[in-house]
Amino acid sequence: MTFSSSRLLEENPDRIANQLIQKAHNRDGLPEIAIGLTFLLVALTMWMQIAYQPGSLTYKIAPLILGLLVPALILSSQWAIKKVRTQFLIGKTGYVKSKPVNRKAAGMVVAIAFVIAVAAVIAAYLGRNSSPPTAWFLAGTGIGGGLLLILAGRLPRFVVGGVIMSVTGVALAVGGVSLGTGFMILYGIIGLLSLISGCVVLVLFLRQPTEPAQ
Amino acid sequence: MSAKIQRLADIDRVIHEPARLMIVALLAAVEEADFQYLRQTTGLTQGNLSAHLSKLEEAGYVAIEKTFRGKYPLTICSLTDRGKVVLDTYRKIIKSAL
Repeated sequence: MTFSSSRLLEENPDRIANQLIQKAHNRDGLPEIAIGLTFLLVALTMWMQIAYQPGSLTYKIAPLILGLLVPALILSSQWAIKKVRTQFLIGKTGYVKSKPVNRKAAGMVVAIAFVIAVAAVIAAYLGRNSSPPTAWFLAGTGIGGGLLLILAGRLPRFVVGGVIMSVTGVALAVGGVSLGTGFMILYGIIGLLSLISGCVVLVLFLRQPTEPAQ
Repeated sequence: MSAKIQRLADIDRVIHEPARLMIVALLAAVEEADFQYLRQTTGLTQGNLSAHLSKLEEAGYVAIEKTFRGKYPLTICSLTDRGKVVLDTYRKIIKSAL
């Protein structure tokens, strides 16, 4: 069993249930593959703007990919994961229908994201005449992203990924690389790690014997 | 305080059993789930899960429906309204007593 009586008495059963659901969600590695592809796509657009001359077609296409393809990939990934599971993995993953999205909670998340975005715009406007704090941005993104990965994943491999992201962010900040190059390396490393980790987990998951349906 | 502790005697014994409590808590967190998902998530054996689900169905806390998705047979489980009320009462009693 993945839980024990003593743990149930010590902790809230609802919290344990949500942890188990989260663990089940990441069991086949598909969410990591989607995250990896998204980060690699972001890193690719940054590389396109660093490696190619401004005014070239590749340079011009990069913001379009970042503005259109990346959000489309993020929005469609949950649907695609569900489709792949239902179509090919249902015998192994089983079937689950989530509860409808809590509109109040979703509204709160959107409101917080909006406040952060407005604060970032104001901070950028106030600091427009000073040189951008590249090191702060890189270290902050690395540490913040790493913490988010650890909290969202709640599995040992996510903890390792989160630590690597934080260390990479700080190392790039200390190394004094430019903002574009720094983000390209940071997102590239995280994307590659997520993709490899997701693929390994998926292969191991597929190799597990399927139990007959009840 | 003693009245609150005395309420522990009113606890529903069907869902107080750890495995059944976990099944009910899992089903309360989702709309519905099939047998395979519950088995994978709880880590219970087929026989154990089957026995616990039967007890929960007998008590009227869980509804079980057998269906197909394509060629794949599904045993879909969901928490009934009665099951939701019982779980809610259980939470309240435990919370007030501890």
